Amino acid sequence: MVNVLQEIQEGVINGQAPRVKELTQTALAQGLGPQTVLNEGLVPAMAVVGEKFQKGEFFISEMMISARAMYSGLNLVKPLLLSQKAESKGKAVVATVQGDLHDIGKNLVCMMMEGGGYEVVDLGVNATPAKFVAAVKEHQPDFVMMSALLTTTMANMGKTIQALSDNGLRAKVKIGIGGAPVTQRFADSIGADFYAADAGEAVTKANMLQIGGNA
Amino acid sequence: MSMTHRERVLAALRRQEPDQVPWVENDIEEALQVQIMGRADFTPPELCEKLGLSGFGAHFPTGAAADGQGLVTKETYKESYYNPQKVTFDFFPPWIAKMGADPDTGRTYIEKGLLVSEESLKLFDQFLPDPNHPGRYDRVAEWLDKYRGDYAVFARIRLGAASTIESMGLEEFSYAQVDNPELINEIHRRFSEWSAAVVDHLNDMDFDFFWANDDLAGNTGPFMSPKVFRELLLPNMKIVAERIKKPWIFHSDGNLFPIMEDLLSLGMTAIHPIQPSAMDIGKMKKEYGGRVAILGNIDLDYTLPLGSEEEVEAEVRDRIKTAGPGGGYLIASANSLTDYCKVENVLAMSKAIKKYGKYPLEG
Repeated sequence: MVNVLQEIQEGVINGQAPRVKELTQTALAQGLGPQTVLNEGLVPAMAVVGEKFQKGEFFISEMMISARAMYSGLNLVKPLLLSQKAESKGKAVVATVQGDLHDIGKNLVCMMMEGGGYEVVDLGVNATPAKFVAAVKEHQPDFVMMSALLTTTMANMGKTIQALSDNGLRAKVKIGIGGAPVTQRFADSIGADFYAADAGEAVTKANMLQIGGNA
Repeated sequence: MSMTHRERVLAALRRQEPDQVPWVENDIEEALQVQIMGRADFTPPELCEKLGLSGFGAHFPTGAAADGQGLVTKETYKESYYNPQKVTFDFFPPWIAKMGADPDTGRTYIEKGLLVSEESLKLFDQFLPDPNHPGRYDRVAEWLDKYRGDYAVFARIRLGAASTIESMGLEEFSYAQVDNPELINEIHRRFSEWSAAVVDHLNDMDFDFFWANDDLAGNTGPFMSPKVFRELLLPNMKIVAERIKKPWIFHSDGNLFPIMEDLLSLGMTAIHPIQPSAMDIGKMKKEYGGRVAILGNIDLDYTLPLGSEEEVEAEVRDRIKTAGPGGGYLIASANSLTDYCKVENVLAMSKAIKKYGKYPLEG
């Protein structure tokens, strides 16, 4: 039983989507709960992938290949979790900010957050402050995560935070930002709760905040 | 002894010490050019004169308002490639992709790569212009003759890596590394052979150097593993690199250190743009400055668009001090001068280069 979870982890890290799908089916057939498969198979594997990326051992392509393998298991586990009304680790609303149409970084954050056990609401690209506000009201997430690739669109991160404040929602969420031109200094200047240099770090910082620490 | 602009650029590219650090830009977005010049009907040398640039290439607003490599479709691209309406020195293949445009800014972007299967390879015939069609070469030769003067003029090309990644889309490109590496190889080979045919023509023209634009890295490192780079991309990039008979600059954003040795095997003269958020120019100069010239590193994330004129001056001074000694450094922004750079900062950059760029450099 333990072996199959280890094999799932190895399959995700090695990016073997068909194998992870098969192993997930085996695990569930052996009577392992969907929560166990998620928390002891898929999530720790993606944590390893995130670490390898941060250490420069993995590159974006490998992270995407691993994420695809993770989804091949997650897609089987997800409906079971929903039917059991299992509590997720937390929820994040993720999008690129208004004016920004570059979604590679944002997609990686979505993959890594889902692979980190979070529920993700992907608002896509070019999300206006109003769209973020509406999504926070509707989904009541723990996190709002914004991405920007252009210096010009970074300013819309601050505007989104302002819009959340104006609507009385700022204190209800933790806000994380990232993207090529974004820095910790910029995050501090607009009052974001955290900055992440890459998608793996977005998850580790979200984890720290979820357990009550500082990101 | 004072050098001409061309001599200055070529000396720095040869890793020799020119009379002053030359400034060349991979691209200056047309809206910014117009802001700098206060009009749209200027010539490339007039813009160089205004800023103190030592060379030019890319494209200019002069001429009818036609698309560059903007929103192109397979229907319009070939015709606009053969008969450019505005002054351009670009020889890029089109992205084989569904393009979109931001309604507010008009900035174009790739919505979705279209090369996703063997079946989709037929799109090459529909999209790619004939690399041997005389139209663009004849037109560009006229412009070269008219505007070149004593400036160093470059043609922009691609080695095919960026064309492959963008025309597949990064996700499909990634998955194909395990599912169908031969598809990546085939797509890359076709783009590279197209560029190699183009280079054969450009070698015979009056260009001083080429600038190969192939973005393949992000801030943390290359998009793909060094192994995939070495096995799938590099051999195809070499198809083009081996045909080049002029000095040439390789451009990719992002952190190139993890694949630097493989990259250098392409034999480029210089590497650009040494993005400060991704690469340390001091490390680049120290470890590789004896083998390849260096261009760029003036920050485009903060300094040029958001910083003050004083910050621009300080950064120019610092970069010249770090990378200038012994020659082999050409100053430039860390990608291109985009239309969101402050005009006063571009002018401050120009002033600072003149102030601090003269050899012998300040100690």
